[in-house]
Amino acid sequence: MADQSIISNARFIYVHDNHKFSPPHAVDSHHIIVRRSVVKPIVVYLFAILLVAYAAFLHFEKGKPVTTVIWTFFFGAVLVKFFIWRPIVKESVIIMPEFGVQLETHYGSGRINRCFIPVSKILKSVLNEHVTPVTCCWCLSLLIRDENELTLVFKKSRPPLKMLVPIWKALCAATDCKESFEFQEDVLVRGLY
Amino acid sequence: MEFKEGRHRILMVSDFFYPNFGGVENHIYLLSQCLLKLGHKVVVMTHAYANRSGVRYMTNGLKVYYVPWKPFLMQNTLPTSYGTLPIIRTILIREKISLVHGHQAFSTLCHEALMHARTMGYKVIFTDHSLYGFSDIGSIHMNKVLQFTLADVSQAICVSHTSKENTVLRSGLPPEKVFVIPNAVDTTMFKPAPERLSMDPIVIVVISRLVYRKGADLLVEVIPEVCHLYPNVRFIIGGDGPKRVRLEEMREKHSLQDRVDMLGAVPHAKVRSVLNSGHIFLNSSLTEAFCIAILEAASCGLLTVSTRVGGVPEVLPDDMTVLAKPDPSDMVDAIKKAIRILPRIDPQEMHLRMKEMYSWHDVAKRTEILYDRALRCSNQTLLERLPRYLTCGAWAGKLFCLVMIIDFILWRLLQLWQPDSEVETVPDFKRTELKRG
Repeated sequence: MADQSIISNARFIYVHDNHKFSPPHAVDSHHIIVRRSVVKPIVVYLFAILLVAYAAFLHFEKGKPVTTVIWTFFFGAVLVKFFIWRPIVKESVIIMPEFGVQLETHYGSGRINRCFIPVSKILKSVLNEHVTPVTCCWCLSLLIRDENELTLVFKKSRPPLKMLVPIWKALCAATDCKESFEFQEDVLVRGLY
Repeated sequence: MEFKEGRHRILMVSDFFYPNFGGVENHIYLLSQCLLKLGHKVVVMTHAYANRSGVRYMTNGLKVYYVPWKPFLMQNTLPTSYGTLPIIRTILIREKISLVHGHQAFSTLCHEALMHARTMGYKVIFTDHSLYGFSDIGSIHMNKVLQFTLADVSQAICVSHTSKENTVLRSGLPPEKVFVIPNAVDTTMFKPAPERLSMDPIVIVVISRLVYRKGADLLVEVIPEVCHLYPNVRFIIGGDGPKRVRLEEMREKHSLQDRVDMLGAVPHAKVRSVLNSGHIFLNSSLTEAFCIAILEAASCGLLTVSTRVGGVPEVLPDDMTVLAKPDPSDMVDAIKKAIRILPRIDPQEMHLRMKEMYSWHDVAKRTEILYDRALRCSNQTLLERLPRYLTCGAWAGKLFCLVMIIDFILWRLLQLWQPDSEVETVPDFKRTELKRG
């Protein structure tokens, strides 16, 4: 019997299919779904339509060349793509204990990218702070044997720490990491999980 | 770690930090370590070095943010006025900082961080580590920037009284807001050699960057003269820089290869062993706000000969040091006097005196008092703060006001884009005791 626990915030929904009562070797799935906002698409479409309408007005009433309309159409399309089009709809982590971990990325176009990592290749899963020139966020990564770089579990989404912690715990349990569970207890005490 | 009452959460900001070694870098690191021991939380923010970028942890859980803004000139981040606002805001919120402490007037990251922290309502402290001039074009611009930053600072710290005078004159800050907290030395690391060195030959040690400011040109004049007057004197020169070539030439010209050793750049961990191989420490700086090198030498039991510049006379008592004008003949006389009084010096006794006089824990306690004072200052709105900027100058005042108003507007826009509640705070990690297995 699958139990679902859900954590959500303004940008992401985290769904965990918790197979608590199934046999111990059952598959454990964690999904991060990117939320669709309601207000933003309306505002952006409205703005784009107004812009094209204004350009059309300039063309028909004031005699501006038709290229103005074409440019505003392109600009509107760029705005729509940038603000509304979700390249990624969902990212999932499917943990198969003693076998491996599968990372899936579901795109808006319907394409699904899958990447399987056998458990023998995973050294450790880590929660890192990722610093960019403008911000700092948490990201979950895997240390893979014989590879110089960390493998990010969520390639594009940056879900908050409270969603990453249960996935990290599950990965640690599946890959058999016994060290540094003090952080987990500390996190439990502070009610982050 | 449970956060007790009266404990602060401090953000140290500077362009100068590990992996570079220097006065400012060591000051920030050692002060942070002592503050951590007192129970405060300290986070350091600096720019990325080579491939060192992101979050790193140092001893005792000191967290360092190496923000990926590449340095553009002399270790300084590119000054973009508002470019660092988002990352500074993120760090201040996620670490729940209560106080921002900037170091070094020459650091652009420090000035920007202090400006943004003031806009966001945090209390701000500034420490000035060096003396600067007034007349050349670079100094004039930097002093104006300093005036801007210090117009609204809660408290300022200088490392010597000379430095306080210099900072007050450059920035127009009222002297009551500036406090003098001298640097210190880690006396557990700098200890004299257990066996006293024999007096023949007498070894004079020089460890400094071989640049114009540190008086490398004076050394070129002084060393041959001293070698000529005293056949039993040897020199050891540690350090590297553009003036090294001149010293090598001097060695060749006077055939002093067997009497002058050039060690090249000395890693910080090896400084003690180099100092312990000498009797006298020679410092020929042309300008110095404090001079930690002299403290390190005195802690190792060496008699110091130094130029009387800047804050140097305030560092050591008269019986531990011989001072001279930054002039070759005066320095040679000072070395003569030092060689004469050398037999009376006891390195162990000198080390014990230094241990009592200087300690980083004392510096941390005094800095803590300042933090308490700063946090007791009242919170002020933008309109209440703007008149302070107007006093900076006829045109500059209005420009600075405009800069602060734009910063305020950008901050509010950033809050609309990403509200404060959306920035996740970092959990405080418990430091577990090391289990010996």
